[in-house]
Amino acid sequence: MPSAERKPDHLVELTWPGRRTQLATLTATGKSGGAGEIFEIDANPGLLAKIYHTATTQAHLEHYHHKIQWMIDNPPELPQVPAEYADVVQLAWPVALIRRQSRFVGFAMRKIAFDRTLELDYLLNRRQAALEGFDADYGKLVTVSFNLASIIHCLHDKRIAIVDLKPMNVKVYKAELYVSILDCDGFHIVADEFRSDAPQVTPEYLAPEFHDKAVAHPQAQDRFALATIIFRLLNFGIHPFAGISADHRNYPPELAGRIKQGLYPYGKLAHKSVRKVPASVHEAFPESLRELFDRAFASTGFSRPSPHEWADALGIYASKQSGYLTPCSKGHLHFAGQPCPTCMRDALIHGAHIRRRSFLARVQTAPARTLRYMRKTLRQTHSSPFQAALAQKSFAVVQLAPATISTRGAIALEILWISGLLITFWWTS
Amino acid sequence: MDELSPPILTALWVVPLVVAWLWRPRQQATLSAWLLLAAFGALGAWALWFGLYAQPGEPQGLVFWKPTILYWTLAAILIVSPLLGGGYPAKIILGTYFALSTREWRWLNRGFAALYTLLGGANLWVSSDASYKDWVGFKYGCLMNLLIIVLFRLNFVWLPILADVAIYFYRRATAAYRAVANLF
Repeated sequence: MPSAERKPDHLVELTWPGRRTQLATLTATGKSGGAGEIFEIDANPGLLAKIYHTATTQAHLEHYHHKIQWMIDNPPELPQVPAEYADVVQLAWPVALIRRQSRFVGFAMRKIAFDRTLELDYLLNRRQAALEGFDADYGKLVTVSFNLASIIHCLHDKRIAIVDLKPMNVKVYKAELYVSILDCDGFHIVADEFRSDAPQVTPEYLAPEFHDKAVAHPQAQDRFALATIIFRLLNFGIHPFAGISADHRNYPPELAGRIKQGLYPYGKLAHKSVRKVPASVHEAFPESLRELFDRAFASTGFSRPSPHEWADALGIYASKQSGYLTPCSKGHLHFAGQPCPTCMRDALIHGAHIRRRSFLARVQTAPARTLRYMRKTLRQTHSSPFQAALAQKSFAVVQLAPATISTRGAIALEILWISGLLITFWWTS
Repeated sequence: MDELSPPILTALWVVPLVVAWLWRPRQQATLSAWLLLAAFGALGAWALWFGLYAQPGEPQGLVFWKPTILYWTLAAILIVSPLLGGGYPAKIILGTYFALSTREWRWLNRGFAALYTLLGGANLWVSSDASYKDWVGFKYGCLMNLLIIVLFRLNFVWLPILADVAIYFYRRATAAYRAVANLF
């Protein structure tokens, strides 16, 4: 297919459900992904168009055509949102086919307001989130986790799986805390008349049983990825398989290898080969969540908690009325009956900071202390009996006479001595 | 050093000596110290003159005798000074900071005297019987003695002085820092 055929400003035809058509003009946004490029649709400012790359083969394009048509005809039932949040887009789900010269080239989807949202990736780092205008606390993080689990539950109900579920593919509404999942055309879909696989995976979020092989059970994969994202959200971005080797035996340097070997150090029962990252606050999570995490990372397949279970477990904390999240003495929200994870984290970080400052101070004063120690040793004026004994022990072979001349006098003698050395060197070399 | 002219090199040597003279300890020097000073003054003047100003003018064949002259001069001072009641030059060579008994100093002095006598003789023997290359190797081997003395002195004399000087400057620097900080 010649590239000129898909110029951004070319006229395209949108086919809505019910086969209603509409002509529209596309304008490039400059955003491009692995499969296609994103365009504004002039006639519909609330929509965006994804036009597949010109390099896409005809067979793939045919497949996309069927998939998108099915998606348009079968939108999932998403969690209800209050009427005032009607403009929140929870899924970048296709709403219309796009054809150019009667040939399928892409699809239209609802536009996610990028100025009101941020990537879920940013929430893994509180400072980064704050820079993006999102003051992350446990109330918000639990709500985001709950909303994410709820959407995935709705998708699984429709036998749709995300497979490549990762923070980069999820947007979060800063004020409303709803989440929005991108790249819906890459989802795994199983329908009576139609099936579409999702070959794209991210190793850091891939369940151990699917490493080095195809994802045979996409929903089990989603369960693993969802648990990983929730764990990271609640644990200051620490990945559930990030740890420290306890026995120094072939500890894989990359997360994918650790996932594959099941080296999960945050379980209620400690792992014998791997220790937790010191900054982890998982011990401040409630028992119900810890059990779900243990099931997610220490079991396989469908033994992992489903999105519905996650939504159930998180729902009570996401609700303000429940009182299961309470403020600590410093005003941080934390799980009731548990230590405050934010204070724990502050203490860990602050402790490290104090230790670092103390270490730097010791390094800075080391030369002065060394000189003082040497002088005391040479003059035998150590006040500590231990140091005095040590100093005497060190110089038991050569007894030093007490200094009877000034430093200047000693320097004068040494100048003479060095001159003597130079003369000796000249005469003997 | 090649770029520096002889007068500059002389000044670089003489200026510290002037400083040493000004800062000299105001106490009675022993005869052994004077003998060593005189010997090294003469040897130093010779080195300065023939090393910097009249290099080709040095007597022919003296090059093989130079180490022997130094060793035997030192040996002579080490032997003669105690006989004249001028103390033990070994004490000057090693430094006055070590609290050894007179007996220990005497034996140390004798040891040095014997060593330098032997080294002076060995130099003559090697220079006449061995190849020039072997003689050069022997000369540099003998410098190891010098290195041992330097290391010994470095550890027990120079480092304490350096510590004193460093503490002095450290105190001055911290006082200056406090004074400047108080201004703001």
